[in-house]
Amino acid sequence: MKRFIELFILFAVAGLVCSSIAQNDASDAKKIAPEDLLPDELPQNLLWQTNNDDPEFASPDAIRGGTFHTWMLAYPLTMRTVGPDSNGRFAGFLRPIQFGPIAFHPQTRLPIPMLATHWALGDDGRSMYFRIHPDAKWSDGERVTADDFVFNLHFMRSEEIVAPWYNNYYTERIKDVKKYDELTYGVKGADAKPEIEMFANYAVGARPEHFHELTDTWVQDYNWKPEPTTGPYHVATMEDGKYVEFERTENWWANDLRYVRNRFNPEKIRVTVIRNESTAWLHFLNGELDSFGLTIPEYWHDKSKHDVFKRGYVAKYWFYHRLPVPSAGMYLNTAKPLLDDVNIRYGLAHSMNIERVIQTVLRGDYERLPTFQLGFGAYDNTSIRPRKFDLKKAAEYFKKAGFETRGRDGIRVKKDEDGNVIARLSFLVTYGTPIHEDRLVVLREEAKKAGVDLRLELLDSSASFKKMLEKKHEIAWLTWSSSGLAPRYWEHFHSDNANKPQNNNVTNTSIPEMDPLIMQFRASANLEERIGLAHTLERMVHDHGAVIPTYQVPYTRDAAWRWIELPEWLGTETSGSLINSQATSQGYSSGGLFWINEEKKEEILALKAKRKKMEPLTIIDQTYRIILDESTDVQEGQ
Amino acid sequence: MPTDRISKLFKLSLDPQTVKQWKRFRSIKRGYYSAVVLVFLLVLSCFAELFVNSRALIVSYEGKWYFPTYGGVISGETFGLDYDYETNYRELQQHFKEQDANNWVLMPLVPYNPFENDFSTTYGAAGPSFATKHFLGTDQTGRDILARLVYGFRIAMGFSLVLLVCSYVAGIAVGCAMGYWGGAFDLLFQRLIEIWNTIPFLYVIMIVASVVVPNFWTLVIVMVMFGWTAMTWNMRTSTYKEKAREYVNAARALGAGNSRVVGVHILPNTISVIVTFIPFSIAGGVAALTALDYLGFGLPPPTPSWGELLRRGTQSLDKPWIVASVAVAVILVLLMVTYIGEAIREAFDPKKFTYFE
Repeated sequence: MKRFIELFILFAVAGLVCSSIAQNDASDAKKIAPEDLLPDELPQNLLWQTNNDDPEFASPDAIRGGTFHTWMLAYPLTMRTVGPDSNGRFAGFLRPIQFGPIAFHPQTRLPIPMLATHWALGDDGRSMYFRIHPDAKWSDGERVTADDFVFNLHFMRSEEIVAPWYNNYYTERIKDVKKYDELTYGVKGADAKPEIEMFANYAVGARPEHFHELTDTWVQDYNWKPEPTTGPYHVATMEDGKYVEFERTENWWANDLRYVRNRFNPEKIRVTVIRNESTAWLHFLNGELDSFGLTIPEYWHDKSKHDVFKRGYVAKYWFYHRLPVPSAGMYLNTAKPLLDDVNIRYGLAHSMNIERVIQTVLRGDYERLPTFQLGFGAYDNTSIRPRKFDLKKAAEYFKKAGFETRGRDGIRVKKDEDGNVIARLSFLVTYGTPIHEDRLVVLREEAKKAGVDLRLELLDSSASFKKMLEKKHEIAWLTWSSSGLAPRYWEHFHSDNANKPQNNNVTNTSIPEMDPLIMQFRASANLEERIGLAHTLERMVHDHGAVIPTYQVPYTRDAAWRWIELPEWLGTETSGSLINSQATSQGYSSGGLFWINEEKKEEILALKAKRKKMEPLTIIDQTYRIILDESTDVQEGQ
Repeated sequence: MPTDRISKLFKLSLDPQTVKQWKRFRSIKRGYYSAVVLVFLLVLSCFAELFVNSRALIVSYEGKWYFPTYGGVISGETFGLDYDYETNYRELQQHFKEQDANNWVLMPLVPYNPFENDFSTTYGAAGPSFATKHFLGTDQTGRDILARLVYGFRIAMGFSLVLLVCSYVAGIAVGCAMGYWGGAFDLLFQRLIEIWNTIPFLYVIMIVASVVVPNFWTLVIVMVMFGWTAMTWNMRTSTYKEKAREYVNAARALGAGNSRVVGVHILPNTISVIVTFIPFSIAGGVAALTALDYLGFGLPPPTPSWGELLRRGTQSLDKPWIVASVAVAVILVLLMVTYIGEAIREAFDPKKFTYFE
């Protein structure tokens, strides 16, 4: 019986995995059409560009040396960056230490040279050419050549790496990578794109050809063989189950590059396994970890009342940034009864007291998210204001939908002509994050005032997401992660995706007028046109009312021992976190600005031993804060 | 109340054996008083709405009396307030006091229900306070801990009792049948139960919880499915034992059928086995539900539950009132149940009272 159950579970799990893989498993053996290939000779008319004019953002005061101590919840399952189990959290350490040909400047958001010194765009709007830095070397001393880029395409398309998603992406989206000479290569993508997005999508990176041997056992063979890197650090020590230590590459080729000098200062980075967050916090208070994220209100307000803060050994930083905002919201399934009525959707939006959740449970630290997608610069439609908690408006909309009276329990009901109750304003809210319970119970209690009954359904995170993708939910409490340079509409709102399982249109939105605009937005290579379309589309999403945007966290909060020093300006517009050893976050080359002051460390430890005080330090930097002007509140159209 | 008086009162003639057991039970003070306190609490918790509730007991408004406790929602407009959702009676009380008219509100002892978020004094958890009438403080979402404890107790005890009845009915029936018929039937069921017992119960709960939201009854069903087997072994043995006794043969000789023999003759004689297990089963039920809630596989939020409180408490040990109140409550209840169990076992111990003395 036990075996039977085990088998059953195994099959069930296997079924789930297969069904999700099957969608990505496009055959990588597809032939590439001749028009998708790059020309054999390097085009003559190329205009080679570079960018050495943007401001530097690292501090010249930085001191090189020391070991930076940070932590992870679990030991990585592999050191590979592709293939099975490679998408764990540790990938966040491994991937950024490979430089791409270019990166984006964290302030100006323009491309800056990294592995490539120059780049040029082909006249078909979908090909790019790069000149590799002649000094570029892998951390094992081998030179980086055009072969490494060509190899990367071959590598990503090969079945040996067991990565169907990459196989598909490097076949469907990246059509060709060609070597022109030792230090020049070209890339051709699938569609024409605006220039800035070509950099984000078609700048294929390098993979050390001399290191990889693609055999059937590649996945096993390379599990614990970290790849040589082109970035500042490489994996030096792995202590199984305990820690991984990165070391700065000796005589690193990029040491004096304009946008790299004075960055990546610690000599070593040690990532220790600590099994839970509260234990990690204790390690931090002991000084065994150098920094700790304080974004969660409880940490910033309560837990940081500890002596090490009061005595000034540890500083608190609250730094606003401008990055794509994750789309946190309530996604109403418009294919369900009641929710197909726009009045109900508007009424629900006015019944959700998100302001109170922010004020109470979230301590007023989070901000209301006005619209579905935000944080993409010019693409943002900043004229949209959220529908706020307003019982009068909610009642109006509900009355329009036929919910005129309340039942005995105070929940609104719809009655037919004979006075029989035919519908009740009660909705199931599906969510998969147990810590969000606090937010939902407050919403639930407040919604009762509007006569709305929210039933909370907490599922295991993967089960809840599956339910949402299968469109079986009524209201999904969900946060889409957000990245890239432009908002996305096709996957969330195109009718191609409505009423079909396993895609991101969880609201089942299907608006005939919206579809052509979405397709136009996707196909357009004209930035201005795209921006205009994005504004229109965002407004349509708002008017449709199927998304109730909840909150955003437009900042990072960190605590760090005072021997960790930062530039005067702390970070950049796109710094994901201030105490960040990684080279890039979200494509922006913003990391590694801090340094370790060893002298100060000794001083502080001496003070700590004597329990002597320093002046406490809390810095709140609002340079990049965006404050919406409430007086220009735009009423929703209907 | 002495037993003979009870029997006189209800014109019952209690079995002298039972009378002796009851006397013996009463003489074990620790167990007896635990039973009294626990039963008292259980009865009180059945009417918890009268003691712990955000709804007023009585509202006197313009000469008319209202009793909002049981029954539908009374909107604020009824009492001349400017909103049509449920009246906030604490505010109403304040409002009437300020008005100085003849209106008044009588609130329960703890004027909070287990769901509402009171952030009037602080955001997040607040410590115990008589001023705000949060006698045991609030949790991270401003919910009154005492209210959640009381309603959580009612749910846990209710769960435990339902679980007990269901699994005992199944367990006793199957166990009796196995012992009474014996042979191939007994053998078959023994093997079946052994196989059934090897299914890891916690995994099943985890799978169920990840697919559907467990509610009171699904949890009862799953737990009964895996809990009924425990009782079968004991019942099987005692039925075997009783079956071999003379009085069973006598009943058979008089022509009693199987159901009569088992129901009227054997079962009452195995009652001591059943009774001694009851308190421990109740404790087991409470502990199981608390553990499941603690792990997040139990009743869905925002159901008031001890396990959930325990989880919240251990997550923020810097707010000791959360973990302290629930830990004390769990310990007290399980301790009382265990004392009762001990006392019953001693009272029913055949070494002191037996027909073959």
